[in-house]
Formats: sequence, structure tokens, C-alpha cells
Amino acid sequence: MSLIKEMTKGFVKENPVFVMALGLCPTLAVSTSIENAIGMGFASTFVLLCSNILIALLKDFIPAKVRIPCFIVVIASFVTIVDMLMNAYVPELHKNLGIFIPLIVVNCMILGRAEAFASKNPVLKSVFDGLGMGIGFTLALVLVAFFRELLGAGQLLGIQIMPESYEPVLLAILAPGAFLTLGLLMGALNLFKKKDTTE
Amino acid sequence: MSNVFMLAISAILINNFVLSRFLGLCPYIGVSKKLDSALGMGMAVIFVMTMASTITWIIQNYLLTPFNIEYLQTIAFILTIASLVQFVEMVIQKMVPTLYKALGVFLPLITTNCAVLGVSIININESLSFIESILHGFFAGIGFTLVLVIMAGLRERLEWADLPESMRGLPIAFILAGCMALAFLGFSGFNI
Amino acid sequence: MSYYLKLGFILLLIAAVASGVLAFVNGFTKPIIEENRRQAEIEARQEVLPSAVDFQKADSDFVFYTGYDAEGEVVGYTFLAVETGYSGPIQTMVGVGPDLKIIKIKIVEQSETPGLGANCIRSEFTEQFSDLDGEKLYLDKDSGDIVTLTGATITSRAIVDSLREAIRLLKNNVEQLNSEEVS
Repeated sequence: MSLIKEMTKGFVKENPVFVMALGLCPTLAVSTSIENAIGMGFASTFVLLCSNILIALLKDFIPAKVRIPCFIVVIASFVTIVDMLMNAYVPELHKNLGIFIPLIVVNCMILGRAEAFASKNPVLKSVFDGLGMGIGFTLALVLVAFFRELLGAGQLLGIQIMPESYEPVLLAILAPGAFLTLGLLMGALNLFKKKDTTE
Repeated sequence: MSNVFMLAISAILINNFVLSRFLGLCPYIGVSKKLDSALGMGMAVIFVMTMASTITWIIQNYLLTPFNIEYLQTIAFILTIASLVQFVEMVIQKMVPTLYKALGVFLPLITTNCAVLGVSIININESLSFIESILHGFFAGIGFTLVLVIMAGLRERLEWADLPESMRGLPIAFILAGCMALAFLGFSGFNI
Repeated sequence: MSYYLKLGFILLLIAAVASGVLAFVNGFTKPIIEENRRQAEIEARQEVLPSAVDFQKADSDFVFYTGYDAEGEVVGYTFLAVETGYSGPIQTMVGVGPDLKIIKIKIVEQSETPGLGANCIRSEFTEQFSDLDGEKLYLDKDSGDIVTLTGATITSRAIVDSLREAIRLLKNNVEQLNSEEVS
């Protein structure tokens, strides 16, 4: 597969959230605003990229039997680095994302890619795979956040979009709204894909 | 005693780990198709969450904080959990091989269950005592299992429902979760 | 046996390198994080006691700062009131005058429900507290003056109760310090 294809597969066809159902916890938790969604998406992509690169580099050095703990140490290290950097340089975002920053380490997407791809492929390919998955993840997060912020707060990126008289649908910001939004989006995407293949 | 009761109600219902805190979603969606594997997974998770809460509390308060290496929390905690899960896996394989087969790849995936790492971190963030942390881990696991089992029961019935094709599988599972979250929202604001 | 030793060694090596890298990053980020926190606290203190130009930490168990104006006169006190709200601890920075009447409050830390309890940070809510006697602070639901946030009784009550309690503690400590000064 060409390098570009390695990357773009993560956008729609193998989208980590909508297709592979990975990284669900952060998707629902931080999609209350687009700003948080982008922040989380970038942080996760950074970790995914770094860990993919390092693991692809070390794949011949790490024995198969201890590979999972080794991957975990690598991923956890990058997550801690991101945590510290965000706390120092973007404290507001760090506070908003809260516990979900350290939880990036258990984002099945990252360990999944390390195991399924980076440990078996050269560095360059792993870079594009990581980028693609990360961008796909960020897109998914932003899409869910788009609806939740618009309907639940009448805003997009903090800017008031809906008219003053709009009564925000509080449910969209709360937990049930997250589940419902994701479910409906997944259904819509399935419909899209079905139409695509039948044509 | 009422403190324990409050802790239990809070962890199981008011701040349910899956439906309020958004932790433990991957197995929640992944293992909730059949009732017995859901129950088996739930039991395993309760055990791991309780043990993890215990060990991570000790690590934080006797290793990380005294030596000023709190930044190693993520690594230390997740390695602890990974080892714990490995251990549980071996035990289940030896003692209940049918369950081991049924859970398949989802058993090692307990390591990536955000609920396990999540409860460990929450215990520390909320400065819970040793006993409180253990109890919190235990009750949080029960809350997770409760929701998982309910979901499995619902999804088993859903197999017979006449759904549009695009909604089958994941989409309807999430809509269902949304309805459950709505129901659990009713528990919020309980002030015992 | 040596195979397992090798496995363990490699894992240990990776963990050691990781710890080293993290210690390094921690080294330069920790001071920045500390500085951010200190700065935010100073700003909050200034915001709730605008007439003060200098703050001195008081020597007492209950942590509070005394604010002085340019002439060295006491213009008030600032302190942090903390209470668990609905989703977690709510921290409120409070500025009171020398008569212990509230000048201004600022919610500095909260993780309440967006759209409900989280509205406690809005000025419509916090403005209510100004010029009130802290010891008689109660929610309208508890026969007081503070209008409860819509759909966020727990949040509102937590803030009000934490303020009332903190001001009571402040009063005790200030009286104690004043009597110590005189004697």
C-alpha cells in the first residue's frame, strides 16, 4: 500500500472510533466542546506517532514474550511527557481534559496500532499509519463535539452560533447525549457506506 | 457504616463508572452481547479493580510520593495493572477454562479498560484512605458489572428486533447505552 | 533461566531509560507548573481584593492572606474555601474587608456539570455574595439571601456552606491574632 493510502485509511475506512470502536472513553468524555476534542485529538495523535516510531525502531530489539509490557512502558512514557508538557504550557486545556490525559495510555487505539502495525512494519510506514489513525480519531472526536456543543450550548468553539432565544438541549452535554450522538452518527455513517458500495 | 453505604451508592449508581464517568466503555460495548460472558467479565473486572486499587494506593503512598517521583504514576500504575491482569488470566485459564475460552481476547484487554486505571487515579486524586480506596475499587467494579449485565440482557433480546441494517450492531448499542445513561441520570442529586 | 533473565533485563532497561527521560522532562516542566499555579493564585487574590497592593500570609492554622494598601493599612483578607460539590471539590477564593464582610468571590476550581453547576463561575451567581455578612450566608432554600443556581442545588449549597464555615474560621483566627498582637 502506498504511504498516502496508509495514512488515509485511518480517516474513514478504518476509522478508529466509528469503524473499529477503539478509543471510545475519551470520545464520549471530552467531546463536550470542539476545543477539548481538538486538544485531546492532538495529544493522542502525538502519543500515537511517537510510540509508533519508537516501537517500529525497537521492534527487533524487544523480545516477543515481553513485548506488551515494553509497549506499555513506551506508551506510558510518552503519555506522561504529554501530560507534563500540557500542564506547563496549556494549563486550561490540561484542566479541562483532566483524568483523560493519563488515560490516553489505555486508549486501545494506541496499543492496538503498536501491536498490529508498528511492531511489524518499517518506521516510515508506521509514521503514516500513526498519523492517519490519529487524524481519523481527531476527526471523529470533533464530529461528535460539533453536535454536542452546537445543540447543548448553542456554541461552536466558544462562539455563540444559535440565536439568543435558543434553549440549549442540556442532554447533549450530559452523558446520555454523548451516547446518543455517537450511536446516531455511527448509524448515519453505516448508511453512507452502504450507499457508497451499492452504487 | 453510613460512609461505606454512601461510597457504594455513589460508585455504583450516582457516579456510575460507565454511564457517568465514561470509563470502561470498550469492554462495555465489546463484551455485552451475551449474558454469561458479560457476567464472567464483570467478575474478573471487580477482582482486578479491587486489587489494583489496593496495590496502586500502596505504590503511590509508599513509593511515589515519599521519593518525589509522582510523575512516574502513569507508568507504575499501568504496569501494575498489566501484571495483575496477566495473573488473573493464568488463574482463570487453570480454574475455569470455559470462561477463559468465552472471554477470549477480552481478558487481556482488561489492561486497557479505562475503568481500572481510572479508579486507581481517582482514588489518589480524591485522597481516599487505604480502606476507602479498596472499597471504592470494589464498588466501582460492581457498578461496571451491573451495567454490563443489564446491557447484555438487553442486547440478547435485541437480536430478535427488526432494525434497519445501518443501525445494527454498534449504533443501536450506543443508543441503548444512551437510554441507560438517561435512566441513571435520575440517580444524580441523591443526597443521603 | 538465562532466557528469562534476558527478558527481564530488557524490560528493566527500557523502564530505566523511560524513567530517566521522564525525570529530565519533569525537571524543566515542574517549575513552570508551580509558577503557573502561584501566578494564578496571586491573580485570584488580587481580583477578590482589588484595593490591596501587598499580601502577607498570616501565621495561623487556617490559611489566609492579609491585604495591605500602599500606606500599610489592612484592607481585608483573602482565603480559599473548599467543599465537595456534585462532581468534586469546589475551590472559591474569597476577599473580605476588615469587618469580614464579603467584597468579592471567585470560583477558582470546579468540575461541576456543564450548563448546570458549572454556571457557578458566572458573575450573575458570584455577584450575589458581595457586601454580605459571611456568617449569615445561606441559600434561599435555607431561608437565606443567595439565589440557588437552576438545577444545581448541591453545587450552590456546597459553595455557600464552605464560605460560611471558612469565614467563621477566619474570624476566630483574626481575633486570635489581634489579641496576640495587643498582648
